[in-house]
Amino acid sequence: MNPKEEFYIGWQSKAPPGIGSQVRQTVVLLLALAIVLGILLGVAQRTIGVSVFEWGKVKSFSGILKSQPYPHLLVTRPGAKAAPATFSSYYLVKPFKFGFDADAASRLDGQKVKLKGTLIYRANQTMIEVVDGSIEPIGSPEELPHATPAVQPVSLGQRTLVGEIVDSKCYLGVMNPGQLTTHRACAIRCISGGIPPVLLVRQTNGPALYFLLVSRDGSPVNKQVLDIIAEPVEITGEVERQGELLILRADPSTYRRL
Amino acid sequence: MGVEYTSVQWNRQKRFYDFALAGGVGAFLLLFGVISKLLFPLITDEILLIRAFGAAAFVLLHVILCIGPLCRLNRRFLPLLYNRRHAGVTMAFLSLVHAVLVIITYHAGGDTNPILSIFKGSPLVGSVAGVPFQPFGFIALVILMLMAATSHDFWLANLSAPVWKSLHMLVYAAYGLLVLHVTFGVLQAEVSPIYVAITALGLVIVLGLHLTAAFKEVALDRSCNDTPGNDGFVDACALADIPEKRARIICLSGERVAIFKYDGKVSAVSNVCQHQNGPLGEGRILDGCITCPWHGYQYLPDTGASPPPFVEKVPTFNVRVKRGRVFVHPKPNPPGTRAEPGVIPVEKIELQTA
Repeated sequence: MNPKEEFYIGWQSKAPPGIGSQVRQTVVLLLALAIVLGILLGVAQRTIGVSVFEWGKVKSFSGILKSQPYPHLLVTRPGAKAAPATFSSYYLVKPFKFGFDADAASRLDGQKVKLKGTLIYRANQTMIEVVDGSIEPIGSPEELPHATPAVQPVSLGQRTLVGEIVDSKCYLGVMNPGQLTTHRACAIRCISGGIPPVLLVRQTNGPALYFLLVSRDGSPVNKQVLDIIAEPVEITGEVERQGELLILRADPSTYRRL
Repeated sequence: MGVEYTSVQWNRQKRFYDFALAGGVGAFLLLFGVISKLLFPLITDEILLIRAFGAAAFVLLHVILCIGPLCRLNRRFLPLLYNRRHAGVTMAFLSLVHAVLVIITYHAGGDTNPILSIFKGSPLVGSVAGVPFQPFGFIALVILMLMAATSHDFWLANLSAPVWKSLHMLVYAAYGLLVLHVTFGVLQAEVSPIYVAITALGLVIVLGLHLTAAFKEVALDRSCNDTPGNDGFVDACALADIPEKRARIICLSGERVAIFKYDGKVSAVSNVCQHQNGPLGEGRILDGCITCPWHGYQYLPDTGASPPPFVEKVPTFNVRVKRGRVFVHPKPNPPGTRAEPGVIPVEKIELQTA
């Protein structure tokens, strides 16, 4: 039959030879397209950084609980038993998309506690997802004098910083990648649920910097930043160091969307 | 053609179609997944799956949308159209997996209902990176699921062809929403120009093919002849312009009519197949029946009715053959109404077959 006269009917057992040949060529082309696009789109993804969530590994921790600016645990560094003691600061959060209970943190503020939880870490930032009900005070308050000097805030002056507001729990490892537009919805839920909001400042020559965001009076700003998460933003405020933590004090209404 | 409904009326061509479809989707998912895990071993598994299924669905939607205009431009692509609904349902399923994983991963476990959370993104404030892109995807998913749920011929028959067709034309709204979803979502996060280039190329191909096919169709509609003679019949075409057992499509009063020549007779029916609005005039007369080129639905040329036990019917038109020309009355008869075929004088038949 003249190929131009061929007529295809799907319910017939076989396609006419000319049409069948063309369809086979098209199918091969589409399969090749699937393979090429699968590889290309996979390779072209943005680099994904190193962050870890030790999911399923529950460990015990002890240290001094601090409630400000966001709940965190001061853990004595190994080999730093002589005074003045040095401490690592581990952010504390609850499972799922919730921050550590602020009331519980206030009650235990400054006390030595033990708790169980799962580590989340990225670069020099560490967080513990605390197992519900596992935290309890221990020991005596003698350790407090050691802790106090290490956590005194030190002002680093007024700074203007450009970065992206991320939820610290996902960015530090629970989700990878846990940043940028595609993660925004999750970051909004996490920060709305009390996870500490952090300004992530990417440096071209050096590691990324993390600034815990608080208002000028040092209060949490979770609810005020929800509309400006995962976007390029410029914030001018006072930077201070509190132990290992960098804190940026600024009125959220002055945050500038870039 | 359906008398009773089964989930899928399998045949050899459908099996081949689905085998190729599953192979293509499987190859894409596997390669994307393996390469992502090799290059980025610390990627969260849920996010890897979200990306793989979302990308597969978007790519497959492009293929699906290109099939229609390709068939308008070259009939040899029609086998791709035959079982297109299985590709559509597959695409909807891929989208559903993507969306469920997104809702579980990004929206569940927080202080807000996960579905409401989709619509509680950042407000529109002039920042491209801040445009809430997930609602676009959610609305597109609703459309796709509605289409997938009504894809079976059972729904086509019960909703009626025009309603069903209108519903399924919403795929273009879904595509538009998904282009926005991708543009304000993944394209804001990825830095490689490959993502922008592939998205733009896909849009250009889909639009280009549709526009090219549309121009071809418009040319036919512009040839519409609305001038009836004193007897109300319109001079439609020359008899010699219609190949044997095939049709010539003309436009009468804004409606396309297929004029078939067969066995020394001429009959005219609506060009629109009752099944999925396929172009009957591009079909053939097989076993005495007009056979639709899309899915093989059949109609008797003089009555416009499917042969028993099938029940589909299309409108017929009254026809006359005079002095080597075909005249058609522009007023359609009710679907399934017999119209006396125009009889070709014997000498004309001999002349044409000589």
